[in-house]
Amino acid sequence: MKDRTHQRVGRLRPFVGRWQLFCLLVLLLGAGLARAAEPDLLEPEKAFRFSARLKDPGTVEITYQIAPGYYLYRKQFKFSASPAEARLGEPKLPAGKMKHDEFFGDVETYRGDLVILVPLERADPGVAAMTLTAVSQGCADAGVCYIPQEQKARLQFTAAGSAAAAAPSRGLERDGAPPGADDARIASVFAGGFWATVTKFFGAGLLLAFTPCVLPMVPILSGVIVGGGRHVTRMRGFLLAAIYVAGMALTYAAAGVAAGLSGAMLSAALQNPWVLGSFAALFVVLALSMLGLYDFQLPVALQSRLADASNRLHGGQAAGVFTMGVLSALIVGPCVAAPLAGALLYISLSRDVVLGGSALFAMALGMGVPLLVVGASAGALLPKTGAWMESVKRFFGVVLLGMAIYIVSPLLPVAVHMGAWAVLLIVTAVFLRAIDPLPAGAHGFERFSKGVGVLALVVGIAFAIGALSGSRDLLQPLAGLRTGGGATQPAETPFQRVASLAELEARVAAAGRPVMLDFYADWCVSCKEMERFTFTDERVRQRFGSIVLLQADVTANSPEHAALLKRFRLFGPPGIVFFDAAGREIEGLRVIGFQPAEKFAAVLDEVLRYQRTAAQ
Amino acid sequence: MPDPGSRRRWLALAAAGGLAAAAGYGVNLWWESRQAGDPPPNAAAVQALLAAPLRDMQGGTKAIETWRGKVLVVNFWATWCAPCRQEIPEFVRMQERDGARGLQFVGIALDQPQAVGEFAREFGINYPLLIGGLETMALMRESGNRAGVLPFTLILDRQGRVAKTHRGVLKEAALQTAIQPLL
Repeated sequence: MKDRTHQRVGRLRPFVGRWQLFCLLVLLLGAGLARAAEPDLLEPEKAFRFSARLKDPGTVEITYQIAPGYYLYRKQFKFSASPAEARLGEPKLPAGKMKHDEFFGDVETYRGDLVILVPLERADPGVAAMTLTAVSQGCADAGVCYIPQEQKARLQFTAAGSAAAAAPSRGLERDGAPPGADDARIASVFAGGFWATVTKFFGAGLLLAFTPCVLPMVPILSGVIVGGGRHVTRMRGFLLAAIYVAGMALTYAAAGVAAGLSGAMLSAALQNPWVLGSFAALFVVLALSMLGLYDFQLPVALQSRLADASNRLHGGQAAGVFTMGVLSALIVGPCVAAPLAGALLYISLSRDVVLGGSALFAMALGMGVPLLVVGASAGALLPKTGAWMESVKRFFGVVLLGMAIYIVSPLLPVAVHMGAWAVLLIVTAVFLRAIDPLPAGAHGFERFSKGVGVLALVVGIAFAIGALSGSRDLLQPLAGLRTGGGATQPAETPFQRVASLAELEARVAAAGRPVMLDFYADWCVSCKEMERFTFTDERVRQRFGSIVLLQADVTANSPEHAALLKRFRLFGPPGIVFFDAAGREIEGLRVIGFQPAEKFAAVLDEVLRYQRTAAQ
Repeated sequence: MPDPGSRRRWLALAAAGGLAAAAGYGVNLWWESRQAGDPPPNAAAVQALLAAPLRDMQGGTKAIETWRGKVLVVNFWATWCAPCRQEIPEFVRMQERDGARGLQFVGIALDQPQAVGEFAREFGINYPLLIGGLETMALMRESGNRAGVLPFTLILDRQGRVAKTHRGVLKEAALQTAIQPLL
């Protein structure tokens, strides 16, 4: 009888765990796929980005950047020029890809970047400029076609008759290495083979591994490993870390695919209060049990039966760790760096779930590499059971409580956030005996622990004072107490707020200067980094002088916010978009994710230079 | 903390957390699904579209509102658009079957009249066809088809109110679901 119960428990547990995960993933996927019924389509000028320039005095070079999942028909191009003195020759169209159509038979189509050269003859060298009119027609794989598009570009001849840069009505002329729009450039990475793409994304993940997105996972994983079992060997630690990373990466990829297909704001979906709240609550429960505040006591008989099984890496714990990994994906969620935005763009355009999802999965695995190292070293470094282990557990209990505060911090007013830190630090300090006297012959460790406790106490009190005195900066809790306003705080970047498309359009139209639109949200880590480190830089501030600065705070994720993001095909902040003085977006100069001051200043230079070219 | 309890605890917590997160995510997606998508058709643009005089196949002009009072399926298409050609035989069948119950298809071709005429004979189109121009395209874009793609279908109830818009090929089942309650 005893044995049978044991077996049943042992067999059921991993089974139940897998079922929950399966249901969770199906739910995530299903929720996203259910909305993919009607295709999400690009405006034609975005699906087929047109630009033209004079390659040399006798040749016009016309470029179409065709978005993934869209194609142009070879037979449908028509080019003309005015005035009549500028005559176009026969266009040199490269060989296209044959596409079989059930109605039209085999038709030749183009995908990706298309360059067309058209010979140009100028009957009268006195003509200073010409207007090129290009007609193209294409369709999307999603099963729709665009009506023929007419696009114009004005091409200027220099006095000497040599080639001059043209100012196309859309598209951007750049000299030197083009910085390119981050998301579009990444989306074009997908043009390579499957494994090449996946490898590139893995590499991008490795680079992202040391950003603030991934670092919070280190204490979580450590806590999970410490709290989970008694004997943590190197192998076991590594295995647990691998399971954790797999859970994180799978969820990340699934959520990414869902977001890409539905066009929803991935970060907003992962950062909603219910998810964050339940995750934080889970942390608190775990932490309290690690602190030994309570135990779920099972009947003694059951305890003894389970005791021997728990030393092995059993399904139950593996499923638990995996689920923690699944939930941890929401910590990575807000980090919409360029690779993620690019992958989402690719998925939403091409609907290629397999490649897009694999790329996201590879990227998440790349981000998980340091965690594997942590797991393996936790196994090697952590002590065996004993009083020491209890201390380590308590330490991680406190760390997990800190993580819980960190996770819900976007939802809390700063004062409450600070208050929570104050409570955690002060209580920890008391447990570390910060206010108990040291015995005369105290050990070195006791003295050290008291030192840490006193430090925690001081910082905790600082937070408490900060919370009560209305400080708004977690890094400077006592700033509010400064008398006489010593001007130490750098001046805030003078952004004007925009909250809707209509407001944006009005502001851009009225600007008369280049415009920068910055998408921001409270939970967006890299937005805050940009504000703190990049926008405050002298070089950047100098260039800001000639630019109208707009900011859209999309923290609330209202329908207006969603429309604004959708207009620019962004899946959430961070994202910085530029417009020229005529109010047209300067395609190709978007900034997504954190950029250091130097690089960002170079982008601003491009914006200002584009302005001058277009003004000619 | 005794070890045997930890696994069960883990499992219970993980299950609770997982379900809560999934529920939250699901609710969030559902909530967003009510907000996302193309801007809804502009009512004024739709009315202008219905009233605009368009060339018909007999050389005269007609407005879509000629057929007001019926359940209208207004289909924007062109002969050069492969997906458009795919759905037309199905429209012909449905017009045949449900025309007597007040269902009326109207095709708006953004194309050359001659090509449209040849196509109509070849496919045996049994509902009126009108030819759209640049202004029609602009109104179509304002009527729930911002990107200006074909095929695009507007379904209007007997009062001329938009019941549904659809970009891309319309499957018969989806079309039936949309029109049956209106008939």
